[in-house]
Amino acid sequence: MTSPMTSAAHDEPWEEPLDPTARGVPGDGRRAARWLPRLLPRGTDVPEDLRAHVARYGGPPYRGAAQLLVGDVRAAGLTGRGGAAFPVHRKLAAVLDAARRSRYSRPVVVANGAESEPASEKDATLLWLAPHLVLDGLQLAAEAVGADQAILCVHAHRGGDVGIALRRALAERDGAQIDKVPVELAEAPPRFLAGQETALVNRLGGGPALPTFVPPRVTERGLGNAPTLVQNVETLAHLALIARYGPRWFRAAGTELEPGSMLCTLRRADGVSRITEVPLGTPLCDLLGGRDVEGTVLVGGYHGTWIPAGKAAALTLDSQSLRGAGASPGAGILITLPPTACGLAETARVARYLALESAGQCGPCLNGLPRIAGALDELAGPRPRRRTVEDVQRWAGLVTGRGACHHPDGTARFVRSALIAFAGELGLHERGRCSATSRKWFLPVPADPARTEEDWM
Amino acid sequence: MSGINSSTVLWYMSRSTGVVSLVLLTAVVLIGLLITQQGRLPGLPRFAVTGLHRNLSLLAVAFVAIHVLAAVADSYVSIPLTATVIPFASGYERFWLGLGAAAADLMAAMIVTSLLRRHLSRRVWRGVHLLAYVSWPVALAHSIGSSTDLQHGWALYLATGCAVVVTAAVVWRLAAAARAVPRAERVTALMSARRRPGSRPGSGRDLTGAGTR
Repeated sequence: MTSPMTSAAHDEPWEEPLDPTARGVPGDGRRAARWLPRLLPRGTDVPEDLRAHVARYGGPPYRGAAQLLVGDVRAAGLTGRGGAAFPVHRKLAAVLDAARRSRYSRPVVVANGAESEPASEKDATLLWLAPHLVLDGLQLAAEAVGADQAILCVHAHRGGDVGIALRRALAERDGAQIDKVPVELAEAPPRFLAGQETALVNRLGGGPALPTFVPPRVTERGLGNAPTLVQNVETLAHLALIARYGPRWFRAAGTELEPGSMLCTLRRADGVSRITEVPLGTPLCDLLGGRDVEGTVLVGGYHGTWIPAGKAAALTLDSQSLRGAGASPGAGILITLPPTACGLAETARVARYLALESAGQCGPCLNGLPRIAGALDELAGPRPRRRTVEDVQRWAGLVTGRGACHHPDGTARFVRSALIAFAGELGLHERGRCSATSRKWFLPVPADPARTEEDWM
Repeated sequence: MSGINSSTVLWYMSRSTGVVSLVLLTAVVLIGLLITQQGRLPGLPRFAVTGLHRNLSLLAVAFVAIHVLAAVADSYVSIPLTATVIPFASGYERFWLGLGAAAADLMAAMIVTSLLRRHLSRRVWRGVHLLAYVSWPVALAHSIGSSTDLQHGWALYLATGCAVVVTAAVVWRLAAAARAVPRAERVTALMSARRRPGSRPGSGRDLTGAGTR
């Protein structure tokens, strides 16, 4: 991708006042922030400059005291928006705690915009349209943990335009002298695992982007052995708004258990895709375009879950609801597969990609994922053997939970859900037939697998 | 050869524990080499092989300790306690006992770094652990050189056997290292090995039909 997608449409049902009782103070942006989208500026596809950003939200509200922001974030109930939905205040507290114990090194804050999931474009879009919001969040997080180093890491291939926008934004901030901690830009290699926390820290430390076993967690011993806070760029943008408007404002959107909003990458069956910001708990049927949508939906990206559209339409976008269907919101990716595509062939192609993206470190992943991918290739072809489905089920069980990272677990979940969701298609293939009519692949898959160690740098 | 009595018991103890130590250390080295290749012993899961390596090495340390202390305590020859730690500080058999002290020091370094492994980087631990390749041959040289026990009879066969199996295992280890695929190429190698005639999109209503694939 060279330029990110444009922002949300304007006529969405969730774009309404969230909290009619919250009174806005004119000029401080609170009034504007009562509506969604909170993060992305509306009706534009050029980056918001510092002046427009300050006019919309005001300057970064430094607190001067670390614990204040941690308390606010805890009260707001903000969770990581990179996919794992880990409570942000616990990471902040862990880094503060580790920093207190280590006398030698001050903490480092990393804004994770590696966005290595090929189907997601929300981080690139956010960085392109609202760079200053992310940079505010990065500064506030750095202040909260007492960091003396801040790094913003973006995806190397998608970084082209985004990198230029970020450099311009950083120059603007330098001119206005609003940043207390210098920000360094870095690039993550185009590897699926590059955005994984330990892989990112390894790469920033000069090594290949490989995940390592935890413990030690990066919050304890990360970049240069310093306590390291790694947060997704969208998480930092939310954090910047919580620092301004407080936890009560944040909780005006979302559910009681999972407050706030999240950016979503929606890919509809007609090939149209866009980025939108929705409150957690939004009914999936609103996002999929109606209750009577047909086909199969991939929830949560390539480590996610295939769900028949009819079943998905009854769910809402939050962990609690999706857990029942064996899914999670992940990084907010929702893909509707068109009826012209074969779900098995698409899954086999993605499984092959995921297998090639294995770091090749842990035996179960290195040996299991290629086997699973090979078996899926067979299932996607004509007249697969009956026992091949059992093989995939067994191997998926064998690899789960046995890697340094969750790559085998996510791949196994994705593949298993396909066997259930595309059971009908599997029956067709067993009779030597296939329902696909389109000759084009639907799911985006990068073409260049890693061949040498250099490709991981 | 005189029998065992109160004046020779320490001497015999030192010699016998020395032989047992050599056998134990040989086993530790062999299992260690097996672990580097993610190998297994029949009937044991991998973590048990690692556990065996660790426990056998601690057992070997116990035997080495008895071997050393008995030699020092024995009044037949005079070996100062310092000579057990500082190589080549003994008046008696200066060179051969020196080798023994050096091997013991290297072993101590490996044990300490392994016990503290949690707190060390992998690189430091591994660097020290590689000293096994020095420590074991030095210990073997010490055991052959410092006593006449291993220079003839069944004990000579035992020492020769230990040397042969360890040499063979090291050769096997080096050959495996030469064959190893670099990490970044492992998955691609495996994938191309199991590449099937892949599926294509829109392969039509009839997957087996001619012309549609």
